[in-house]
Order: sequence, then C-alpha cells, then structure tokens
Amino acid sequence: MDTTLLSIILAVSMILMLAVGVWVSLTLVGIGVLGLLLAGNDQIGLLFATSSWGASTGWSLTALPMFIWMGEVLFRTRLSEDLFKGLSPWMGGLPGKLLHVNILSCGIFAAVSGSSAATAATIGRMTLPELKAQGYSDRMAVGTLAGSGTLGLLIPPSIILIVYGVAAEVSIGRLFIAGALPGLMLVAMFMGYTMIWAKLNKDEMPVHKKEHISFAAKVKALRMLLPIVGLIVFVLGSIYGGFTTPTEAAALGVFGALLLALATGSLNPSSFKESLLGAVKSSCMIGLILVGAHFLTLAMGFLGIPRELAQWIGGMSLSSFELLVCLTALFVLLGCFLDGISVVVLTVAVVMPMVQQAGIDLLWFGIFIVLVVEMAQITPPVGFNLFVIQALTGKDILYVARAALPFFLLIMAALFLIGWFPEIVTYLPQTMSRG
Amino acid sequence: MSTIRDKFYLASGYAAGFCIALIMVVILLQIVGRIFGFIIPSAENVSGYALAASTFFGLAYTFHEGGHIRVTLVIQKWPAKARFVQELLVLLFGLGLACYMTYYCWHMVYESYIFEEVSHGYIPIPIWIPQIPVGLGMLALNIAILDDLVAVLRKQTPSYQQHESDINLEEI
Repeated sequence: MDTTLLSIILAVSMILMLAVGVWVSLTLVGIGVLGLLLAGNDQIGLLFATSSWGASTGWSLTALPMFIWMGEVLFRTRLSEDLFKGLSPWMGGLPGKLLHVNILSCGIFAAVSGSSAATAATIGRMTLPELKAQGYSDRMAVGTLAGSGTLGLLIPPSIILIVYGVAAEVSIGRLFIAGALPGLMLVAMFMGYTMIWAKLNKDEMPVHKKEHISFAAKVKALRMLLPIVGLIVFVLGSIYGGFTTPTEAAALGVFGALLLALATGSLNPSSFKESLLGAVKSSCMIGLILVGAHFLTLAMGFLGIPRELAQWIGGMSLSSFELLVCLTALFVLLGCFLDGISVVVLTVAVVMPMVQQAGIDLLWFGIFIVLVVEMAQITPPVGFNLFVIQALTGKDILYVARAALPFFLLIMAALFLIGWFPEIVTYLPQTMSRG
Repeated sequence: MSTIRDKFYLASGYAAGFCIALIMVVILLQIVGRIFGFIIPSAENVSGYALAASTFFGLAYTFHEGGHIRVTLVIQKWPAKARFVQELLVLLFGLGLACYMTYYCWHMVYESYIFEEVSHGYIPIPIWIPQIPVGLGMLALNIAILDDLVAVLRKQTPSYQQHESDINLEEI
C-alpha cells in the first residue's frame, strides 16, 4: 500500500481512538497492530511480545520507578512546610517578596520529584492559602505557581527526560545534567519577571510593616532546608561526578528519602504502603505507554513512515530553525489534547529520523521538547498543571490559564534562548566525567 | 464478592510494589558491593526483570484505579446513552486487544522455554522464568477489563471512572 495513504489511515484512526477514550497505551499498541496488518506482516504478535519484553526490562528504565517512588515518599513528608518556613525569611527584601517562595520552593521540590503536577500540588497546598492570607494578588500567586510548577519536568531528576532518554536512546545521565542550567535559567527568568511586576503593581502587593528578622534567625530558618538540599546535591552530584549511574543515584535517592521521612516521623507502615502503591500506579501507567510506544516505533520502522517523512521534509530544504518552529507548533497542538509523556513517545516514534537528518543534536532536542511540553502543561484545554491548580483554588481553568500566560511567554523566550545559545544545554554535559 | 475483588486488585498492586522495592534493594546491594569489593551476580539483569514484573503485575491495579491515562476531553460532555455505548465499545476493544497481547506474551514464554533461552549474564537465568510475570500480569489485566465490562453492562459506573474525576497527582 502507498505510504502516504497508509499514514493518513493510521493518523486518522489514532485520533479517533484517542478521542473516544481508548487508553493511550492501548491506542499505541492498536495502531501498531493495524499498521502491520495493513502492510501484510504475519509476525505481528511475536513482534509485539519480543518488543515489549525488550522495552520493559531495560536497565536505564529502572530509574523510572525509583524516582517516582522517591517523589511519592517526599510528597508525604512535611517537606513543603519546611521549604516555606526556610525560604520566606530570605525573600522579604526582594520586590515581590513571598511570591518568590512559590518559585523557589517549586524549583527545589522539582529537584527531588520528577513530576510537575505533584510539584504544583505539593507547593501550592502550602503557599496559596498563606499568600492569600497576607493579601497578595490572587492572580500572581496562581500564575507563579502554575509557571514554576512546570519546572518539575525540566529540573532533574525528571520522569519525562527518562522517558525521552529511553525512547530516543540518549544517555539519561547526560540529559539530567543538560536540564540543570536551563532549569536554573527559567527560575531566574520567573523571579526577574516577578520583581518587575511587583515594582510596577505596588497597589496589588500587601503593605507590610517593616518587620526585621535578625540574620541569626534567617540562618536558623535556612537549616530547615539542609536535609532536602543535601539529598539533591547528593543525587545530582553523584550523577554529574560519574560516581553512579542515574539508576543507582535514584535507588540511593529513594533510600535517602525514606531515611528523611523516618527522621521527621512521617514514615509509618501505612504511609510506606501508600507511597509504594502510588509509585506502582504511575510507573505502571508510564511503563505500559512505553511498551506501546516501543512497539509502535518498531511498526513505524517496518512501514518506513518516519523515513519517508524525513525525506519529504528534507526535500523541502527547511532550515533547522524553520523545522523547529513547525515542530513546536505541532507539539503545542498535540499538547492541547495529550499529556507530555504521550507527546514525547509519539514524537520519538515518528519524527526522530527527521530531526536527526536535520543535524539537530538529540540531547539538545530532548531539552527543547521538554520546554515545549512545559508550555503545553499550562495551555488549555488539557494542561495538567491547570487542572491541579483549578482543583486547589476552585478558580475556573481559563482564569488560571490567563494568570499563567506571562509564564507561558517566558518559557517561550527560554526556547529562543536555548536556540540561540545551545551551550546553555550542552555545556555541562560536555564537562561531565562520563556518559 | 466485592472483598475478593478488592483483594485481587490490591494483590496486583502489592506484587508490583514489592518488585519496585526489590529493585531498590538489588541496586543498593550492588553499590555496597562495589565499595566492599564483592559482586552481586547479574544485578542489572535481575533489576530489569523486576522492572518488567512490576510493570505487568501492576496493570490490573492501575487499571482499576483509573491510573492508565486516556483523553476524556471529547467524551466527558456526551449524554449518558452515548457514553454507555462508547464505554462499552472502548472496553470491548480493550478486552480484545488485551487478549491478543496476553496470548502472544504466553507464546513468548513458551518459546523461551522450549528453545531454552538463557540470559547473557554472570549467571545464566532461563529467560522463561522472569517472563512468567509478564503473562500473569496480562491475564490479570484481562480480568480487570472484563470486570468493568460487566459493570457497564449492569449499568454501573466502571471502577476507573470513579477515580478519573480526582486529579492524579503523579501524572507527569
């Protein structure tokens, strides 16, 4: 059958299946089977079984349940409270004051949890009521939370980077380290914007009587952050220094998180079981999606669709900038209906050869696609962060999306920055001791 | 009846959770071993097998809890009658596909067994042994889907839908 016709049939069936509510993972398998059937392959079932076995036993993939579990354990501790208490005495001097606590605690929590919705929920539950009580602008409180909640995707350890690394066969350790600088850059951009906003909108900021906190008290508050910062430095430092693989760092991270929970008294048999079952639910969902995506990638390879697509795009002689603009538009569109992980696995199944042919570095592209997915997280109608914050605040989703708009634009600016200066992404991985 | 059902799903969840905890223990042992100079044989293989086992063992639990994601944007506003037909079709399709997947997963176990395939590692492990959890987990998923198919036919709300309205914090 003609490849163009085949691609159209597959694309239309995929959209239909997703739209009527077939589970994403089963849709991926179904489309793979359909494609191979139409191409007259007679080994479909065997191909499926061996590809799933291969996809679900990968050594680098073992980091996934570890990091998810680590987030689940820390989610059940008093971590967010400690972050708030430890950071707020230091933010009094900056224009925008406690709004920065929102951004920074999201950034720090993101560094122990791989999930952006969990980041937004954990931090928001603590900070939003406090910000409201002190009279900060609702809109800005919601906006900073929505924006910086997405940092969970980029700041390592990041679940979505593991998924990308496994699917695109890029070293996860290098991806993690590559995500660090762009993540910090985004934090700085968010804080800068908040300062400017606070200067311009003094009337929307609460009027504080100048309360003086002694330096000693500030340092004492900072001590609350020690365990968590220690854990972050330990996990990321050992990956960067080449002492451990990401998987080993993840196992040590879970162990550290369990010890931390034990020391703070939030670990008991029932919270341990809950954290484990929570980890099962997420890692199993992602695991089956990866199984489906691996099979679909294989089927696509048999059908030659990605190759044809790459040739077709190659024939149009687009510059890599134009290609990236087109891909961004496509991803944001996909991201309106699908979650980030599905967008990433679909991309890897179809557009990877195209990207490679355009001479784009796959490591850089991983960070790029995560930034795009971050934007999609705060775009209606499907943005997980919007849902989480909607549930936390009771505001309607369009209000949250409007509040998050400046941060959407800032992430877009970050995209251009890493486009112009790819070193922001590639510098740290190049100086790493080993892949 | 419902207690047996709950136990079945919980068992699926705990079996998967046990495998995740096992991965942690194996990897930690490997690190300790590296420091003190002993080797945990085939640690990478074993944790890979535990990963596959945890993914497939947990399928039924995750399905029951509404953990597998899908797009509900289009269907959520449909009238009840259309929703009934849609859920029925989706479940039938899911069951059919899951049966197909299960059959071939067991076929793979069978082939590994008769061809006596072993892992390339420090200790050669007959590969059909760690492949059995894949088949068992797929079977459990069939039961979970069938369970909800029956529920829909009885005009009850399927289990996964009851959880879909709450936000799953760990998604992404």
